[in-house]
Amino acid sequence: MNVLVILAVILYFLMEFIGGKKGARSFIAIFLNFGVILVTVLAMKEPAIDPVVFTLIASVVISCINLFYINEVNSKTKTAFLSTMITVVILLFFILILSDRAMIQGFGKEETEELGALSKYVGVDFVKIGASVIIMSTIGAITDTAIAISSPMRELFHHRPFVTRKELFRFGISIGKDILGTSTNTLFFAFFGSYLALLLLFKDLSYSWEEIINSKIFSAEMITILCSGIGVALIIPITAWINASYLIKRRDKQKVTG
Amino acid sequence: MNVRGMNFDGITNKVVFLYLFIVVCFAASMFFVQHNHSLYERPIAEITETKLIDSSETIDMKDNKDHLYNQSIVGELKNGKEKGQEILLENTFSASGTVDQEYRVGDDVFVLIEKKGSSSHLSGSIVELKRDTYILFVVWVFIVVLLLVGKKQGLFSIISLAVNALILSYGLDIYVHSEKISLLFISGISIILFTVISLLLINGSNEKTYAAIIATILGTFASLLITYTVMWLSSDNGLHYEEMQFLTRHYKTVFLAGLFIGSLGAVMDVAITMSSSIFGLYEEKPDISIKALKASGMEIGKDIMGTMTNILFFAYVSGSIPILVLYLKNGTPLFYTLSMNLSLELARALAGGIGIVLTIPIGLYISILLVQRKKARA
Repeated sequence: MNVLVILAVILYFLMEFIGGKKGARSFIAIFLNFGVILVTVLAMKEPAIDPVVFTLIASVVISCINLFYINEVNSKTKTAFLSTMITVVILLFFILILSDRAMIQGFGKEETEELGALSKYVGVDFVKIGASVIIMSTIGAITDTAIAISSPMRELFHHRPFVTRKELFRFGISIGKDILGTSTNTLFFAFFGSYLALLLLFKDLSYSWEEIINSKIFSAEMITILCSGIGVALIIPITAWINASYLIKRRDKQKVTG
Repeated sequence: MNVRGMNFDGITNKVVFLYLFIVVCFAASMFFVQHNHSLYERPIAEITETKLIDSSETIDMKDNKDHLYNQSIVGELKNGKEKGQEILLENTFSASGTVDQEYRVGDDVFVLIEKKGSSSHLSGSIVELKRDTYILFVVWVFIVVLLLVGKKQGLFSIISLAVNALILSYGLDIYVHSEKISLLFISGISIILFTVISLLLINGSNEKTYAAIIATILGTFASLLITYTVMWLSSDNGLHYEEMQFLTRHYKTVFLAGLFIGSLGAVMDVAITMSSSIFGLYEEKPDISIKALKASGMEIGKDIMGTMTNILFFAYVSGSIPILVLYLKNGTPLFYTLSMNLSLELARALAGGIGIVLTIPIGLYISILLVQRKKARA
């Protein structure tokens, strides 16, 4: 039996057993997201499609799955969606400029041996693909933080309908601060785990500090880790601001009409 | 928490001083890293002139069109005996930039100097870009954004990242330099250290944190046990270790250790969410029944389960996008490409997911146990 199939079956039963219907839906969401990544890869293969544009489209679809399918379509998830998209666009531009300047695209010299006979002149832009990788690896955490902030802000607004915009914003930020530590932690360890083999290689081949820091592959991974942290932090004020503005505006409108 | 930076009338001298300190550190370190050439032993040249000599279109066996360019580059050496001299360099790059890149005026590059007797100029070849400036820049953006948004919590996340990275590096040093200690043992010890340090930093020293620490360690080891059993029973069927890059060690241990460490952050997140909410409910309503605590705990668990597995999934699988594109562009069939390049990432994501889901009941029962003890004492 295939390890992946067995693990998937175990995970499905655990999620269904503990999470009931919502658990099963979350499991299906992973498969939908896997589908989105596959389509993204197939689209990036075509030189005619701009990987950056397609990353934005993929981000829209993934956010829809994570926010609207796992949760529901309501104003809470809608504001979270808007905040996610704004953060993704800002982060994407930052990463594009950075990875172009730092030349971290494609594959490092440590990897070329493994690529062996593969042709490297394939006519797609690896700078843009690299930027897309960082966005895609962080988007799960970004949507999660967005929804985690917008739900309690909504609750506070229900309990205290006359709360000011400034108070709402501050409440959102304080919720965000509480989850900042754990979300960044989740991403950091996920990356540490993936880069373990690379770290061992550096140690085994006794790379010096300066060789490690300047190598393409280490720089690329450092930039991925740090940009994902920046993304998870940026979404906090953006979501808090959008929710605060939205809730206050809706209240003002109701006052006028009612 | 009385540190409220958004509140302008509340800004104290201490906060102003801290921001000033950060600005000075930023400026000083950026200046330093742009002028640190003399500290490097490898020769570095700053590119002063580039000229495109020729360009040609290439078509590979799979009909992929690309452009190849040749650049002639003049650089000025910035360190060593030849400091100040000009050096002639050459560079070939492609439009796709898979393994190469175009250099621009102002870039600092490491070079190999090859002296040529006949010409007055030095000549040589480019090894790689000097990237330390960019790394430092991102580090600063990261620090500033985290501090501005998270204040104290942001500072703790930065400390936690730095300390955990140091522990990992130190642990690997021990492993590399001693033959007898196994990697799994070192990762086991590191995992306990990571958990204790990160959770104490994130949540402070209190009962909630202790419950989360126990739940994290139990959850991680339980998921490892399940994954290991499955791998053993199915004799690794479907896992392609040959995809593992940079292998200098026994692949299976490296994979298991990576899997172990990779899911840790997510498991910690679940554990702390569970214990915080159970203790929060109890503190709000000390006479709440155990049954009600269990029910609310399970509800919270259901809510976080999906998002946490998703986070791990994206973090693992996205990294393989470039290699998937390269394989597919080389005409490799889709299914073969996926099974060759994704099997380990998927296994990691699934095993991490199992850890996350298992930690929900584990965290719930441990928190309830500690709450009951507290109740009995009160």
